[in-house]
Amino acid sequence: MIDFHTHPVQVADLFDDDPTLTRAVQDVFGLWMSPQPLRTYELHIEEAGADKAVAVPLDCTTAHGMTVVSNAQIARLMELTDRVIGFASVDPGQEGAADTLKRDVREYGLRGLKLDPALQQFDVADADRAFPVYQAAAELGIPLLIDCGLSWAPKGRAELARPLALEPAIHAFPELQIVISHFAWPWVDEAVALALKHRNVHLETSILNSGTPPESLRLALDRIGIDLLDRSLHAQVVFGSDYPRVDPKRVADGVRGLGLRPALERKVFNDNAVRLLRLEGTAA
Amino acid sequence: MRSQIIRFGIQTTGDTKMIDITERVRQMVRDSGAQNGQALVMTLHTTTAITVNEGLPDLEDDIVEMLQELAPADRNYRHARFLHSDGQMAVNAPSHLRGALLGFQCAFPIEDGELVMGGRQTIYFVELDGPLYREALVQVMAT
Repeated sequence: MIDFHTHPVQVADLFDDDPTLTRAVQDVFGLWMSPQPLRTYELHIEEAGADKAVAVPLDCTTAHGMTVVSNAQIARLMELTDRVIGFASVDPGQEGAADTLKRDVREYGLRGLKLDPALQQFDVADADRAFPVYQAAAELGIPLLIDCGLSWAPKGRAELARPLALEPAIHAFPELQIVISHFAWPWVDEAVALALKHRNVHLETSILNSGTPPESLRLALDRIGIDLLDRSLHAQVVFGSDYPRVDPKRVADGVRGLGLRPALERKVFNDNAVRLLRLEGTAA
Repeated sequence: MRSQIIRFGIQTTGDTKMIDITERVRQMVRDSGAQNGQALVMTLHTTTAITVNEGLPDLEDDIVEMLQELAPADRNYRHARFLHSDGQMAVNAPSHLRGALLGFQCAFPIEDGELVMGGRQTIYFVELDGPLYREALVQVMAT
């Protein structure tokens, strides 16, 4: 089982080497919780029932002048624990972002790209800035995890994170595997419509609004009809928690409480992520 | 009468755990050099608890089950929302309520440098929303 979406912004080991990280986590990401030992992060993954978790950085250089965990720090985390599958982030607003992505993915062994247009403040349909980054990800054969919908980060601008805005990129890069986080809540309908039409568009389960994860998931998925997941999207939904916005154990409980067929639940918790991350044949 | 505060940490390993800290507290009292007075054991969190009971695994399971029945996970709690001051979803009302049921501290007398406890009494640090690194303290007030 894999948690496809965690931010290691509470791992004390990363703060020890980077005095600026506290400011980035508080001012940009918007988390005011005390750091915890790496062991707590590992235990959160285990408590959810997962074996591994995708850990994402975020490069907000253009919008906020800092990174909320860097690619190098993700690489450091991968040295410290075998629970982590590291992703890269680059800033489409920076010159050479695509080259940076290629370099860091190859140098650090990272397995995906994380973008957050609301917080990084870029236009996902910008052919000059964003498209070269998508192109690089497609060439590298790595999935793109992209935040859509409400951004809880204080400086996040949800208007930049509407799923339908991704349509030009989906058309331009049909080989790029795109994972839309949060089911893009409150624009669940838009995200589901894209996933129904485009088999390279996937949806991630951390729907966070008001209420417990089981309530939020049920509310959003009842609207589209849970049967639709089994019939048309069984290969396109992955479990993700968005830790530490919410504890992975609670999102996992929410998914388990949906009453999905066992085969579908296994795909959501594991098989779809394994395929996206190209982990077949490894101990995921 | 002199007061000493001894802080200590606990890495909890699951959502709900009853962790026996009796010997740890006894040793802190001994190490403090206190002879006669009182020791207060207190958690610094609102989703953990300190409680005293007989140190038997079946009773531990019964206590956990009782807490889960009294404050079930799926009730319609008000405390189920985004907490802006933390930047997290605050969806752990059952953990808070279970903590309120057990309480956050206990106290024992100190006599001739030793904690005075009933033979079947065990001091528990109770994790109610783990896994997390937690902090607790013992305040020794003694001569």
